[in-house]
Amino acid sequence: MTDAAPVLAARGVSKSFFGNPVLRDVSIALLPGRVHALLGENGAGKSTLINILSGALPADGGSVEIDGRAAARITPPEARQAGIAVVQQELSLTASLSIAENIGLGDYPRRFGMIDYRALADRAKSVCALVGLDEALSTPVGTLPLGRRQMVEIAKALYRKPRALILDEPTSSLSATETAILTALLVRLRAEGVAILYISHRLNEVMALCQHVTVLKDGGVTADRPLAGTDADGLVRLMVGRDPGDLFPRWQRSPSASDVVSVNGFSAGLARDIDLDIRTGEVLGIGGLVGQGQEDLLLGIYGAIPAKATTASVNGAPALPSSPPKANALGLAYVPADRKREGLHLIHSIATNLLLPAFARLPALTLRHRSAERETVRELAARFAIKGDPARQAQALSGGNQQKVALAKWMPHDPLVLLLNDPTRGVDVETKREIYIMLRQFAAAGKAVVLLSSDTPELVHVCDRVAVMREGRLVAMLDHGELSEEAIVAAAVGAERRRQAA
Amino acid sequence: MSAAGSVMPRVSAILRSRPFLTVAVVAAVWIVAGVTMRGFGAFGHLRYLVELAAVIGLVAAGQTFVVVAGGIDLSVAAIVTVSAVALPLLSLPGDPTGMSAVLATLALSTAIGLANGLGVAFLRVHPMIMTLAMATFLQGLLILIAGGTAISLDNPLVTWLGNARPAGIPVGILLWLAISAAVLVVMHATAFGARIFALGANPLAAALSGVPVNATTIAVYGISGFTAGLAGVLVLGMNGQGYVGIGDPYLLASIAAVVLGGTSILGGLGTYAGTMPGALLLVTITALITVVNASPGWRSILFGSLILGLLLLSGRESARR
Amino acid sequence: MSATTDTEGGRTIPLYWPVQANRNAGLGGLFVVVLLFAIAYGVLFPGLFTLSGFSKFTQSWFPLALVAMAQALLMLTGGISLAIGATVSLGAVIAATTMSGPLGVAGGSVVVALAGLGFGAATGLIVVKLRLPAIVVTLAGSFIVGGAALLILPRPGGAVPGWLSDLLAGNTPTAFVLLLAVALLWKLYLATPLGLGLYAAGDNPVGAYRSGVPVDAARIAAYAISGLLSTGAGLFVAAQTGSGDPVIGTAFTLNSIAAAVLGGIGFLGGQGTMRGAIAGSLLLSLMISVMFFLGFTPVAQYVAQGLIIIGAVALPQLRRLKR
Repeated sequence: MTDAAPVLAARGVSKSFFGNPVLRDVSIALLPGRVHALLGENGAGKSTLINILSGALPADGGSVEIDGRAAARITPPEARQAGIAVVQQELSLTASLSIAENIGLGDYPRRFGMIDYRALADRAKSVCALVGLDEALSTPVGTLPLGRRQMVEIAKALYRKPRALILDEPTSSLSATETAILTALLVRLRAEGVAILYISHRLNEVMALCQHVTVLKDGGVTADRPLAGTDADGLVRLMVGRDPGDLFPRWQRSPSASDVVSVNGFSAGLARDIDLDIRTGEVLGIGGLVGQGQEDLLLGIYGAIPAKATTASVNGAPALPSSPPKANALGLAYVPADRKREGLHLIHSIATNLLLPAFARLPALTLRHRSAERETVRELAARFAIKGDPARQAQALSGGNQQKVALAKWMPHDPLVLLLNDPTRGVDVETKREIYIMLRQFAAAGKAVVLLSSDTPELVHVCDRVAVMREGRLVAMLDHGELSEEAIVAAAVGAERRRQAA
Repeated sequence: MSAAGSVMPRVSAILRSRPFLTVAVVAAVWIVAGVTMRGFGAFGHLRYLVELAAVIGLVAAGQTFVVVAGGIDLSVAAIVTVSAVALPLLSLPGDPTGMSAVLATLALSTAIGLANGLGVAFLRVHPMIMTLAMATFLQGLLILIAGGTAISLDNPLVTWLGNARPAGIPVGILLWLAISAAVLVVMHATAFGARIFALGANPLAAALSGVPVNATTIAVYGISGFTAGLAGVLVLGMNGQGYVGIGDPYLLASIAAVVLGGTSILGGLGTYAGTMPGALLLVTITALITVVNASPGWRSILFGSLILGLLLLSGRESARR
Repeated sequence: MSATTDTEGGRTIPLYWPVQANRNAGLGGLFVVVLLFAIAYGVLFPGLFTLSGFSKFTQSWFPLALVAMAQALLMLTGGISLAIGATVSLGAVIAATTMSGPLGVAGGSVVVALAGLGFGAATGLIVVKLRLPAIVVTLAGSFIVGGAALLILPRPGGAVPGWLSDLLAGNTPTAFVLLLAVALLWKLYLATPLGLGLYAAGDNPVGAYRSGVPVDAARIAAYAISGLLSTGAGLFVAAQTGSGDPVIGTAFTLNSIAAAVLGGIGFLGGQGTMRGAIAGSLLLSLMISVMFFLGFTPVAQYVAQGLIIIGAVALPQLRRLKR
């Protein structure tokens, strides 16, 4: 540990949006040569704090200090000048530009007012080497898979030779190899004296990498202390104020399982040649590494993308539904992973969002019944504990509440098959728990739940069976008895340790 | 007490709403112009303005549907012209009322709109390209049919539509009111209306929520074709003859009325209740400019500047992606 | 200038030329179609291969290429202009009223350029700084600019010096040389931080802003350059016809969008390349010429043009559906 002055610090900052306090009297200090973890549930105020530290947002109160000089606010150019670089969750890349042009964007080396491509290539090459990017520098970023783009984003931050580096969930889309490269890199930067702020939901990464931790809960700091002497469970307690063991409900086998969807030789998008039965009364997990065709499997069954199957039976119908309305008519419902882009109408009211599937199914010129609509909305909001005025825009809701809306809107139709695409991604622990309980209740009530998830522990604890996909194929079907994180990961990466279920 | 408590916020919401603001602007202009300019405030003149607004209002009705659904229809002017030029040619000899020609014309214009919708929905052609190409196509077709000559009207029903004034109110205005009532009901009180808002706000989320996206898209362009065709019939009745170019003013006018009325050009938000005063505002501006008696160049500049100015006053789009 | 950008064969890592090569991706089909039309035109009209025939063809193509670039530039930033046609008219009437007067050709050209830059920048400022939708602002702008053109020249008239008409629209391929020069200037602009920032501003404005790209400046500059290209096209059209006409540019609005879209420019910003837009304008130009030689009446040309544009845009989609 050094006793050097902080490179970047916030002193007693507070911030509110539309009168709701998001940060209250928060202080944090990034010291050179230290990896500082920032933990907190979604909606705890982490993103707002990052935005204030990088100058993207002004604080309502308090000050931001760069090298000990305090200012009520700093501007993004000042922050860049001071060597503060941020790797945001939402990438700042331009798809049509090359890797090198993206890395240098906003800070190109120039000669006679023109971009000096030769110098750019040299400098980009050296930062690419740091993060293990070996693609040609001229490759358009749009052609790269998500994980590689994340690495370009990190290279872009390094290109500016930062003295303070802020990383917001940098590993969420990275492979294990890429994560290992990043970890080694951060260790090296730490040794070089860079101040690093590291935000992640993966506590094992935090435990391995960080020396100091600040925990935010509901906009306030609940802990600011060295990590030594703390364990992961202790961190979770600090974040949520409850024991981590309570997260998952007790698993109980639901009675009376019968096939409701069966496909043979199913192909859609990346998904190839899949034989799968979905049964009522159980939660079927879909696991595997990110992007192995899991999403296409759900979308194909839902009729949202073209799909074909040698034989298919969907709730009695002898073929796959050709469009979402037909899937809905067969009792299928789909909850997408990307709530903002695919799940919700952010500019519309919560009530309108909750009622949309109903509007979609009614004959076009049916007159609306405002009082009945209000009643439906009131019931759904109460049942799913969606807080606040349903006349507000959906974008005013936190991630967890948005997810509840995306799920709740299907309930009036009482769907028999629920296809859920990573419903707990970016959702706070409290809502996660509520969702798990609901999924088990659905199963107990004789519905079929398909849970596609990138979170292996939830597959283990919530599902009755887990299908694991790799390179578009279904490579393993694990029954509840044989479920473990190791088994799922082994099947996902292709280690043939487990016998495949028939 | 509680009743008053729930009414007050609603009243203030109405007072702050875009449709009301647009109505207020129109009323203010009418009062000021009526006091300061001779003849502006006369009943006959105001009635004439509303009659002109009815045509724009009809074209803008379909345009509102399309814009709310996230598209834009740049072929409305061409459809107005097609309707006004084709109707005299479609007259059947055995029909003394002229009803059959009107129905045939409306069917034709609706079909053109549906064709736009098919292109946008199934061929995934950008609405701007699809409708511009349709406009180009129709322009060629029109010259082929009508050449450069004006075609005079010989249809009792259409003449009546354009000229009759039961109880002193032109039939065109009554027609506009009737269509407006239907549009408002469809837009705000039916499942179909809710679908077009959902489609415009987020087409992907709408599709995944089970909204029949293609059918809805085709329907809104069909509606736009229908209302543009109806406007063409009315304009023909008012003019007495149809010619190539008769519909040209209504493209900008329909879009401007929609935007001035507070409907987001990005889709998903808006109401025809704003488009109606928007249409009135447009004809009022045009009338004022005519009164000023400027050259065509200045008139055009004034018109563009006023629209821009009104946009600055009220048309700010909150940033969204 | 090539020393600053050309690293090919140098000791360092090649970057500029591979990046350029990658920008051709997805344009192969377009280039083939352009070539086929060019061959068809050459067969129909062997005169194309004479100097004067080639000159005439490039003259009919040149203004369309300029407005296609003007439109593509805006579409790359996520904008659009419905005032292109009116701006072309403005350029034409300014050229026809100034060049024969005391200002002369040089002075007139400066006025034309300033008018384009000024109107473009003003539009850009309104769209970018006031956050108004580009389509509506430029629609209103088309009335203002069109009105200005009518004020300057209420009816067709004015004159462009004969030698200028001969130089630009005579039997020499001056237009083609000019087009090459404009394309080269564009390449140079795209090799500046502001020029490349245009893609970032169109594709991911928030990310570009966070990276330190002057997003607003890049977008406003795009509108200004777009205005300049449009009035420049107007000057050329005036030289072609020898006089000015306040509504001569009207058709360019649609054609600029059509050429840009044929050239693969997307409406959402950041998608497409200028070489595509230029190829798109060439395709449109060839199509019109081929139809003319096949004896299509102007009317049939309208009809065919509408169909071909829809077809060209819809074709990739149909192919995807089949797969």
